[in-house]
Amino acid sequence: MMDSITDFKVMRLDQAGIVRSWQAGAQQLTRYLPEEIIGKSVELFYTAEDIANGLVETDLRAAAKAGRHETQGWRVAKDGTQFWAYVVFTVVRDQAGGVRGYVMAVRDLTGRLEEEQALRSVEQMVNSITDCEVIQFDPDGIVGSWNPGAEKLTGYAPVEVIRKHISMFYTAEDIRAGLLEREMAAAVRDGSVGAEGWRIRKDGTRYWANFVLSPIREGQGEVKGYVKVGRDLTEQREQERLAKQQRDEILELSTPVIKVWDKVLILPLIGTLDSGRAARLTESLLERIAADEAEVVILDISGVPGIDSGVAQHLLETVEAARLMGTESIISGVRPDTAQAMVHLGIELGGLRSRSSLKDALQLALRLVGNRTEFAKGGVGGG
Amino acid sequence: MAEIAAPIMRMGQDLLITLQPDLDDLSVESIEQEITSEVARILARGVLIDVSGLDVVDSFVARVLARLVRMVRLLGADAAIVGIRPAVAITLVQLGVSMSDVTTALNPEQGMARLREMRADVSAVGHHDIYS
Repeated sequence: MMDSITDFKVMRLDQAGIVRSWQAGAQQLTRYLPEEIIGKSVELFYTAEDIANGLVETDLRAAAKAGRHETQGWRVAKDGTQFWAYVVFTVVRDQAGGVRGYVMAVRDLTGRLEEEQALRSVEQMVNSITDCEVIQFDPDGIVGSWNPGAEKLTGYAPVEVIRKHISMFYTAEDIRAGLLEREMAAAVRDGSVGAEGWRIRKDGTRYWANFVLSPIREGQGEVKGYVKVGRDLTEQREQERLAKQQRDEILELSTPVIKVWDKVLILPLIGTLDSGRAARLTESLLERIAADEAEVVILDISGVPGIDSGVAQHLLETVEAARLMGTESIISGVRPDTAQAMVHLGIELGGLRSRSSLKDALQLALRLVGNRTEFAKGGVGGG
Repeated sequence: MAEIAAPIMRMGQDLLITLQPDLDDLSVESIEQEITSEVARILARGVLIDVSGLDVVDSFVARVLARLVRMVRLLGADAAIVGIRPAVAITLVQLGVSMSDVTTALNPEQGMARLREMRADVSAVGHHDIYS
């Protein structure tokens, strides 16, 4: 109460609008000294334009008629600066009921006006965002504001959403898993939380939302709500998924493993080998070795244009891993330039056998497998 | 003999040891003891170490395997490691554990064939009976 009084600067006017008394507060606001203002017309505080429009008379007449008159407008201080004033005129009457004067209370709302304008511009900004949802909800999850972006994204008009619970956009399993509560708790704990996930549109379809959730605090303290800014990344996600699937398919196609004989596999390598392909190749070859119980693998590199040390290293690692599984490798199709390069690069072949053509490699493979089979048979027969 | 860390199965003059996951220093020590004493007791000629039960092999396990193979060889038997899984093989190569002088095989059957093969090579020079 006291605060609200001290916010007002009070001065007394006579019935003609001449200033008769003057408070220290009014002096601060308008910067006039008492001797400069007492006896002068209240017009001093009005802008030239307002005076020309007869606003002084209008205000006083309105006050005289109603007993009290409130108004807002730009007023002028001694140095010519303007302030946005909230002004209340109260009539002072004599015993006969005639107007004896006025009490004029003035409050400087310049700061408030700027604040309101700032708020309004924030609102306009939020409303002009049409590709993001900006949603505000209270600590219980009740939606308070809803921007056109959110409407466009989800299909819900503001009236269908405001005062409803934010969980209406979550999938049933996410609600059961307490996702919303976790998100709110994380936002409060960390100041804000960013996440992605499936949300539900009005028509029941899902969209992949990428969003940031932040708490709105009263000053430094209590959380009075949350603001969520989100985007629809369904399309990007779908594209990424397709791209990955295509990449996987290409990798799959580029590393075919062929079973040519009982316990013999051929891996024909075609095209440039990069580390991604080479790793994939190692993996699929070893899986096939395990599945087919292969004893010999032929790596045919006649279709590989060039071998650098990285690729050679990968090939040798593959051979080594295969050997650990008990499988022998034969390399075929080494071209003269590849042979030179490998030796110059100092790549050790170890026990790796090489044959000039796939046909020779296959003959060797069959001999190796044949020998083993005989031993195995011999073992069974003899045991 | 019914050691949980590594059951040992006897097949004639050969032994099949199946390693179990979660090897630690203590179980390794008891495995080493059991294998060496069993090899010596039955005068085993071949030992297959089956690691197909191991999804993960770190350098510790790799060293244990190499050590077991050396001990078996010192006792005059051949050793083969069988059942290394694809992912394990890749890990071992990346760890730089080559085990290049160790005989490996996909499974116990193939491992047994390898052991016989090795004995055949030796018998060509003129010693042992090939098949027991």
